[in-house]
Amino acid sequence: MTGQEAATQGAVQDSGITVRVESFVGPLDLLLHLCRTNEMDLSRLSLRTITDQYLTHLESVRFQDLETAGSFMVMAATLIYLKSKLLLPANPDDADEVLDEEGELLKRELEERLREYARVKALGAWLAEREAEQTLIFGRTTAELPPPEDIPLEDLSVHLLQRAMQRLIEDQKRRVPREVEPNPLSVLERMSEMLELLRSTWSLLFSSVAGPGRLRAEWVVTLLALLELVRLGQARARQAELFGEIVIERNAVSVREPARDAEPAPGESAPDPQAPHLQAPHPGPLPEGERASAEPGESLNA
Amino acid sequence: MPELIDVVEALLFASDTPVEASRVQEVLDLDSPAAARDLVDSLRRRLDAEGRALQVMEVGGGFRLVTRPEIAPWLVKLARSRTRSRLSRPSLETLAIIGYRQPVSRPEVDAIRGVNSDAVLENLLERRMIRIAGRKESPGRPFLYETTREFLVAFGLRDLADLPKVEGELIVPELAETAAAQLTEPPPEHEETAAADDPAEQDPGSGGDRVTASS
Repeated sequence: MTGQEAATQGAVQDSGITVRVESFVGPLDLLLHLCRTNEMDLSRLSLRTITDQYLTHLESVRFQDLETAGSFMVMAATLIYLKSKLLLPANPDDADEVLDEEGELLKRELEERLREYARVKALGAWLAEREAEQTLIFGRTTAELPPPEDIPLEDLSVHLLQRAMQRLIEDQKRRVPREVEPNPLSVLERMSEMLELLRSTWSLLFSSVAGPGRLRAEWVVTLLALLELVRLGQARARQAELFGEIVIERNAVSVREPARDAEPAPGESAPDPQAPHLQAPHPGPLPEGERASAEPGESLNA
Repeated sequence: MPELIDVVEALLFASDTPVEASRVQEVLDLDSPAAARDLVDSLRRRLDAEGRALQVMEVGGGFRLVTRPEIAPWLVKLARSRTRSRLSRPSLETLAIIGYRQPVSRPEVDAIRGVNSDAVLENLLERRMIRIAGRKESPGRPFLYETTREFLVAFGLRDLADLPKVEGELIVPELAETAAAQLTEPPPEHEETAAADDPAEQDPGSGGDRVTASS
């Protein structure tokens, strides 16, 4: 409301040219104010008066931002352009200002925009009054009732949904991704890994345990783990040729016991083409657990 | 068994949004919305006759139970706060444009106001006075805005037809040439308003006069 008060105040004092200009929300607002103070008919603008006054005011306007400043400037340019089109030199007795066809059109458009803005401004004032009246009336703003089970879709605009989504995304962004250091390799862990694998399969390939990356550290740790297992008698290792694949087999005697609770784990006993072949010569009947654990290999083979 | 009229009072008391006549009908198992409206009307008369602090108000397509304005000073005291956030002048003017021309895009609002309305629209969206109604099939496919029910409630309007009549249409400047031709003719009534008007409930005194007088 301060803007409007300022405007009306200005209208009262404005015999000179002192107005609190910063309260104008746009060039049309300023122009409208000038028309009012000059008691000018909105469909018969006097370009000379209005342009001069507009430019005078423009000097004292403090713009909020570049864009607003731009819109004031565009209006100034339009006014100056129109004024330059006035065909005859100013005649104080003659109220009519003669323009060429284009100028006339431009002027009419400007007048129409002004009238339009005047209507909007009046409606804004009307709404302000309604709003003021409503501040004297109090009603419930939050329900006593539990919220309905179905979401009222008619009140959900795309904008609200989009905003909610954006908030979620922002929240997500704020969570800085955590750097996860890979666990340092440990011989002990590799040993138990291999034992675990050997529970569900008869034999492993060294390369599949060491991982596909062929990292030197991996290979070293895996080899050390294997040697340790062999030393402890928990696994056997065979290498058919120099630099060839090392086949790791379970040492049947020692692994039998932990194998009792073994479950078929198809993922881990995975592709090992040599496995069935190696299995075959294994002597004697298998305990239950081991038979179960051998199945994945067989089904793969079939 | 409570009387129906008492139940209506309770419904309006408990609800945070305006209760439509059809909703009253549904809850009370009445024959028609008109019967519901009759009940609400008799409740209104009863509250008025007894000079109660509450009144029935018709806003946003439904009914609300609200305090009478005379009670406001005590309520302000109770709240220990005088301030209720009000909308700025640019916001109100933008709302006026949207109220009359909805659905309307930002470029159209900008053209009428002569300034960029981005921040104002954002604020109005934030306060749920307007919402996005879709996109306009024009270059850039700008959003279209329309007013919400909260807008009607905030300004105590039954519906959009409650907005005052304006002298002539609210015209986008692009169309100004056709408008110029109409200028000499007597101002036509605002079409939307005229179409949706309920003559019995029209209040020509407050709105129309003021608008024409000030332009």
